[in-house]
Amino acid sequence: MPRYFIDSSDGTFSHIDSEGIELAGDDAARYLALDALPDMVREVLPDGDRREFAVCVRDAFGKVIYSASLTLAGAWRDRGTPEPENGPLLDL
Amino acid sequence: MVSPEERGLIEGMTMRRRLLRKGEELVSQHSQPSESCIVLSGFTAREVVLDDGKRQITALHIPGDFVDLHAFLLKVMDHSVVALTDCEAAYVPHRELLRVIDRSAHLGRLFWLSTVIDGAIQRAWITSSGRRAATAHLGHLICELYLRLQAVDLARDGTFSFPVAQGELADALGFSLVHVNRTLQELRATGFVRWKGSTITILDFDGLAVLSQFDPTYLNLITLPR
Repeated sequence: MPRYFIDSSDGTFSHIDSEGIELAGDDAARYLALDALPDMVREVLPDGDRREFAVCVRDAFGKVIYSASLTLAGAWRDRGTPEPENGPLLDL
Repeated sequence: MVSPEERGLIEGMTMRRRLLRKGEELVSQHSQPSESCIVLSGFTAREVVLDDGKRQITALHIPGDFVDLHAFLLKVMDHSVVALTDCEAAYVPHRELLRVIDRSAHLGRLFWLSTVIDGAIQRAWITSSGRRAATAHLGHLICELYLRLQAVDLARDGTFSFPVAQGELADALGFSLVHVNRTLQELRATGFVRWKGSTITILDFDGLAVLSQFDPTYLNLITLPR
């Protein structure tokens, strides 16, 4: 089975896959790469309003065969009431 | 503490020993076992597999664990127990368990305790899955495994063998495979843990415990009358 390397970045911490993994084919590698995105998002958000998450798949020869990214773009549209000073951030 | 008489009762139980290859099932989902098994060597896992093939490992078991005491009362298994490494297990017929419990209520309570601790470990795992950050989740599992293995003399000086594939680790943590690798790298970077091949060495247990908010109370490793 061919070997693939899946690199990933959450915008702060990059992981370069040096071990790789043997998979049935390109689609399995793409699936694994995409599967990592929600995990990375859950790990760091909420944290600011801008962030890009990215994954890429390299084949056994080091060629990038697939890449994907997920972008957080948050912005206030019409901010109303700020929290009182020293008050809780969330009081559900 | 177990009295010499109680030890004799345990040692006198009829049991059959069975060698299992990695990947074999010790107990199958929906089966109705007439015996319960104790792991003598190797790592095993309780698992639930969904229709699409996705798997959640809900518990890891180490030598000495009575992995299948549940079946004694549950009758029909709602999950499987699978060998993560080559294993040896001892199967004890339920009528033997009944005989021992009838003779010693104290041993009956100790069997009960074993399943109660399984439940406590499950609570810790749910908390990790739901609320801990990935490094803390993995760190918590490493602290837990170390203390459990140390209690049966399979870990010392911070080091133990954990010959489990990363895909299995992913299924135990509920992480994607890539996230397991990222988390391993992050955890290594803390300097608290070294993970080489199938050997894990905790270089700073207290540091790892603080990072993971690990409180060993749930493992019940204290000696008290039961």
